[in-house]
Amino acid sequence: MSTFTPPKQVVVLESTPELKSLMSIIRNKDTARGDFIFYSDRIIRFLVEEALNHLPFVSKTIETPTGFKYEGLAFQGKICGVSIMRAGEAMEQGLRDCCRSVRIGKILIQRDEETALPQLYYAKLPPDIGQRFVLLLDPMLATGGSANKAIEVLLSHGVEEDKILFVNLISAPEGITKMVEAYPKVKIICGEIDQGLDENKYIVPGIGDFGCRYFGTLDDA
Amino acid sequence: MSAGRFPWYNREGKPIEPFVIGIAGGSASGKTSVSKRIIKNLGVPWVVLLSMDSFYKSLTPEQIAAAYRNEHNFDHPNSFDYELLHQTLLNLKKGVKVEVPIYDFVTHSRLDKTKTVYGANVVIFEGIFALYDKQVRDLMDMKLFVDTDADVCLARRLKRDIAERGRDISGVLQQYHRFVKPAFDDHIHPTMRYADVIIPRGLDNTAAIDVISRHLSRQLNDRGVNLRIEIAGDAVSDKLPDNLLVLKPMPQLKALHTAIRDRTTSRHDFIFYAERLSRMVVERGLAELPFAEVNIETPTKSTYAGKTWARKVCSVSVVRAGATMEQGLRSVVKDIPIGKILIQTDPSTGEPQLHYCKLPADIKDRYVLISDAQIATGAAALMAIRVILDHDVPEDRIIFLTLIAAPLGVHTIANAFPAVRIVASEVDKELDEWLHIVPGFGNFGDRYFGTTDESYGTSDTNSDNGY
Repeated sequence: MSTFTPPKQVVVLESTPELKSLMSIIRNKDTARGDFIFYSDRIIRFLVEEALNHLPFVSKTIETPTGFKYEGLAFQGKICGVSIMRAGEAMEQGLRDCCRSVRIGKILIQRDEETALPQLYYAKLPPDIGQRFVLLLDPMLATGGSANKAIEVLLSHGVEEDKILFVNLISAPEGITKMVEAYPKVKIICGEIDQGLDENKYIVPGIGDFGCRYFGTLDDA
Repeated sequence: MSAGRFPWYNREGKPIEPFVIGIAGGSASGKTSVSKRIIKNLGVPWVVLLSMDSFYKSLTPEQIAAAYRNEHNFDHPNSFDYELLHQTLLNLKKGVKVEVPIYDFVTHSRLDKTKTVYGANVVIFEGIFALYDKQVRDLMDMKLFVDTDADVCLARRLKRDIAERGRDISGVLQQYHRFVKPAFDDHIHPTMRYADVIIPRGLDNTAAIDVISRHLSRQLNDRGVNLRIEIAGDAVSDKLPDNLLVLKPMPQLKALHTAIRDRTTSRHDFIFYAERLSRMVVERGLAELPFAEVNIETPTKSTYAGKTWARKVCSVSVVRAGATMEQGLRSVVKDIPIGKILIQTDPSTGEPQLHYCKLPADIKDRYVLISDAQIATGAAALMAIRVILDHDVPEDRIIFLTLIAAPLGVHTIANAFPAVRIVASEVDKELDEWLHIVPGFGNFGDRYFGTTDESYGTSDTNSDNGY
């Protein structure tokens, strides 16, 4: 669908028939909200499991109940999640399902009506976020304006750029290019990459307004 | 004595035919009592007792009216549906599930519902014309004829029909003279020559029944194969079969395995990590289902070239450990029908035994995900797959989900059922001398359900690490 070749910072989920089927449900304009939530959550789980693969691990040898050694791995380092409100909050449960009691910060960014630039309204982050890996959550990466603003906020709180993993369901090439140019050490974990943006800056074919569909605040819902 | 069903198939997974015994004899000669005594003597479960009464043809309205006047001849060979009988016995012999008709003596017709019969190591078929039809006779491994004196039969018949069926004495006698006795003389008695053994005096002849039972026991023992031990002696090829699909070895997967395999991991953590791992295996299994192309319209009014599931799916848990995957299954397929199979290892022989089986009614129209925590020798997996095949599911629609697998078990399955796909999260090295999988994760069911005295770790060292 997209001729765009993603840069090396981007990890796209393997395009299996199953993932396509899940995407077909959540992208369909006629999908009921219950199904939209259920199948979005399944894709989010894939994304979180994939993102966790890109954290550092150390070797760990353990003994099994049968008395044998198993050469395993253990996760090393501390992590937290940061969701970009409101849509990013839809991804928190998926993260918690894999990492119980994970700390989660929130960032609210809105577009300034006059300047059309993203503006930070609110940020509440774990105090020791500077020592953590951060899974930055936002389902859609369109122009990259608010995501880049969120990364800027994280960096200003002492997070190291190469410890940020941006996790999202659908990206537009424009957003990826903008993020990679500004923050080349950030890793992007993405479900699918779409064709591009329409005149309203919506991703096409896209999914519509993810937050509205997930939280049920569409006018025609 | 265990009540499980011992393997009814060979190491190639092909069913071994059940032993079919036919028991004929006059009306009220004691065929049913003899059958029941043989079943009791054999002491094996999974014996199916099939009565010729189930195979009466439905009557026409005129015949029904005649039946109410005691004028219909139920004792004529033409009253039975030998075609259906033959087909039913043939399917039982093949080991597949059969639907036995239910004949209603009040309305003299077959009911719409049927009785489902599955899983017979021994089939006993009894009826007055059990030995009448050649096609049916040819399916029998042993043919018996119960030869009881006519006066004894008549006395029993009088007692049964008057006391239990509320009939009057003249009606019973009229029927006896007109139909029962001539049928016996003309059609039933002549089939005695097809019998391998004739039992005079019926149930009273305990010596004859005991001799027959002992002979049957020997025959059944000769047929039973010691599957698990045979399998364990196989040399394992280094190359894993193509039908084995192993999850991609990513660090996260390895870390989950480290958590569930560690003997010091608490139950709390064990359950949590086992479920994460299960969900990955389930998702990988679902990816094996067939998909169809579909174009959908998105809210931005553009088209997305997508896919959709083309077939229905269900799952079957191999209880107990396999049932731990049910949560993972329901988390991804909300309304998935879940069947259950209980297979236990007989401690004395080490063989798997089927104890219980309850499957979705429309299983043959679905893809089937069988779930179990591990594949060690493959003996239990082979049995579970055989059960599903016996329910008319094609081999290539079965996907076996497991957390860990030993190469031996994988080869056993691939050898018997090459079209069955196996999804495993990791493949272990081997089996130890007790046929336990190593390095393994111990007794998965005990650790998950907390039914062990052995105290595994209590420290939540892995939990919430760094969160």
